[in-house]
Amino acid sequence: MDVVSEKRLREEETLMEKNVLVTTIDKALNWARGHSFWPVTLGLACCAIEMMATGGPRYDISRFGYEVFRASPRQADLMIVAGTCTRKMAPLLRRIYDQMPEPKWVIAMGSCANAGGPFVDSYSMLAGVDKFLPVDVYIPGCPPRPESLIYGLLQLQYKVSNPAKVRLMRHGK
Amino acid sequence: MSIDKTQELVLNMGPQHPSMHGLFRMVVHLEGETVTHIDPKLGYLHRGMEKLAESRTYSQFIPYTDRLDYLASPHNNWAYVQAVEKLMGVEIPERAEYLRIIFGELARIASHQVCIASTALDMAGWSAWSYAFRDRERICDMYEMTAGSRLTVNIMRIGGMSAEPPEEFWPALQSFLDDTPEMLEEYYGIFFGNEIAMGRLKNVGILTKEMAENLSITGPVLRASGVDFDVRKAEPYSIYDRFDFKVPVRTGCDSYDRTIIRMDEIVESIKIIKQAVRDIPGGPIMAKVPKVIKPPVGEVYHRVENPKGELGFYIVSDGTTKPSRLRIRPATFINLQMLPIVAKGWKIQDVVAIFATLDAVLGEVDK
Amino acid sequence: MENKKLSRYVDELAARVNGVVEESLGVLVLKVQAPYIIEVLRGAKEFPFVPCDFLHDLCGVDCGDHFEVVYQLSSLHGPQLLRVKAIVDRENPVIDSATPVWGGANYLEREAYDMFGIKFKGHPNLKRIYMWDDFEGYPLRKDYVTEPIEVRNIVRTRIEGE
Repeated sequence: MDVVSEKRLREEETLMEKNVLVTTIDKALNWARGHSFWPVTLGLACCAIEMMATGGPRYDISRFGYEVFRASPRQADLMIVAGTCTRKMAPLLRRIYDQMPEPKWVIAMGSCANAGGPFVDSYSMLAGVDKFLPVDVYIPGCPPRPESLIYGLLQLQYKVSNPAKVRLMRHGK
Repeated sequence: MSIDKTQELVLNMGPQHPSMHGLFRMVVHLEGETVTHIDPKLGYLHRGMEKLAESRTYSQFIPYTDRLDYLASPHNNWAYVQAVEKLMGVEIPERAEYLRIIFGELARIASHQVCIASTALDMAGWSAWSYAFRDRERICDMYEMTAGSRLTVNIMRIGGMSAEPPEEFWPALQSFLDDTPEMLEEYYGIFFGNEIAMGRLKNVGILTKEMAENLSITGPVLRASGVDFDVRKAEPYSIYDRFDFKVPVRTGCDSYDRTIIRMDEIVESIKIIKQAVRDIPGGPIMAKVPKVIKPPVGEVYHRVENPKGELGFYIVSDGTTKPSRLRIRPATFINLQMLPIVAKGWKIQDVVAIFATLDAVLGEVDK
Repeated sequence: MENKKLSRYVDELAARVNGVVEESLGVLVLKVQAPYIIEVLRGAKEFPFVPCDFLHDLCGVDCGDHFEVVYQLSSLHGPQLLRVKAIVDRENPVIDSATPVWGGANYLEREAYDMFGIKFKGHPNLKRIYMWDDFEGYPLRKDYVTEPIEVRNIVRTRIEGE
């Protein structure tokens, strides 16, 4: 180890003792974003009840810091598409997404939001919200259990906190 | 210059709105804060179940009925399988009937708990909401033990039940029944006895008896308007004629009675479950039915008392394995017709409360 | 059976409107031509002793060469059940609206219009209820062909005001 890096290491150690951490702004922001999503209250169908149960006393989503459900999309940064998206609803869903400020993420919860689910061959169904929204995490299930939703949120947390790693994983390098 | 009258305001509520219980949209015309006209817009969750039924076999359609009124899914199963059984003339075993009663009434309790919870939530009562959801989880646990699913349980089959409840189901049910008086006491204390809740619900949104009968209203909403009508008593299906229970009727006709009548129904449901647990016989849970369900040519209309009103299935069979026409009579879709009539003249915040007392589930409204 | 009393009145009513009475699984079914429907519904509502005064359900059925509008009548004060079927022409599906008799027919008729294209004369607000206004076709008709998934996956344009 050369003299310069040894010196820096010692400096960091003294800072640590004074409760100071050194990092990049990007990392700090991503850490904060990933640990406190503000989801928009958007219950479409059956999955919404499981989403409510996740917010309820048994599963208690606030353990993870995600309990701030906002009624207005303008205050939210996460959209949990919980339930069936029909053709009639699709443009309105897109509009709600457009109203959310950047940065924003989308979770497709349940089979219907993933790929149409049991209703895929119906005349009024749009098979999967990824046809018009950039989905970050897909949660399978009909409806998914609250644990699945929490797992999905934690996956999103990982994605948001480690953007570079996830980009590498996606491209298979 | 003085202004006596404000301009008419058109306000669009929904489909994404915290008090709309799903994807319901209404265009509200306001004068100041007073509602002059409401135009409800439906269909944002229309999934075309009736058309899908025509391309599914009779057994394949059972999971779809779960997704109609997803707060009380065993009830939807029940209505559907009973309609098919009626068409085929199948007799189901005693034990299966009792199990159906137990699960049906548990579903009624769970559904009413959500109704109370969401009514409280619409008036910003977070605590009442979390108390009701806490207790509902125990019913979900019991579903899960038996059927493996928490919400859309898909527990009934044409000819009986899909699964026998496991050993641990009965103690769980017993301890739930033992805890219910305390549980109801809490709801009374935290929500119904609350002065704000009383102020916002009492004498608001009057639905008279004549109006209710004319508008084909059913379920607790009808009974809160002073009509003593319950399909379980009027046309006893399954084995309801063996049980001793009352039909709660209230005569207030207002939002408060429409909500609190659900508490009375929970008490009656508990009574029914206790009797069913006491009398349940042993034996098989499935009748002998053919592997391929092929009802004879004919038609049947069967109705049951869903927690939200009367759920009916009208099935026209042409003798093949798939129904030729399957019609669902959604209870809340028809109950919703009262909203524009009743809410007229009330303030905008009362409309939210009146809508909450209807306990509309958009999965059932839009099908 | 309590059907006996009801069956007498239904037979009388059927004779007045050229209807056919059948029985299906214990429920009386009265089949009439569309123009008589209001007379039938008003008549059934005012049966003495066994009035069928509660409109339970109203739906359309596609029978191939014609449509049927099926009314499920019952009562809040007795066990009587009656099913009335009105036969509607397929080419020109028009029938009188039941809204003057029962206010509750309002949404049900809008639904039947949306799904089958049956026009209810005298309905206060006959518009599509489930599908959006620009939607073409009537989905529950037997000859309706569901669009392929590629077409359905194209997001429609939002109508102003939605």
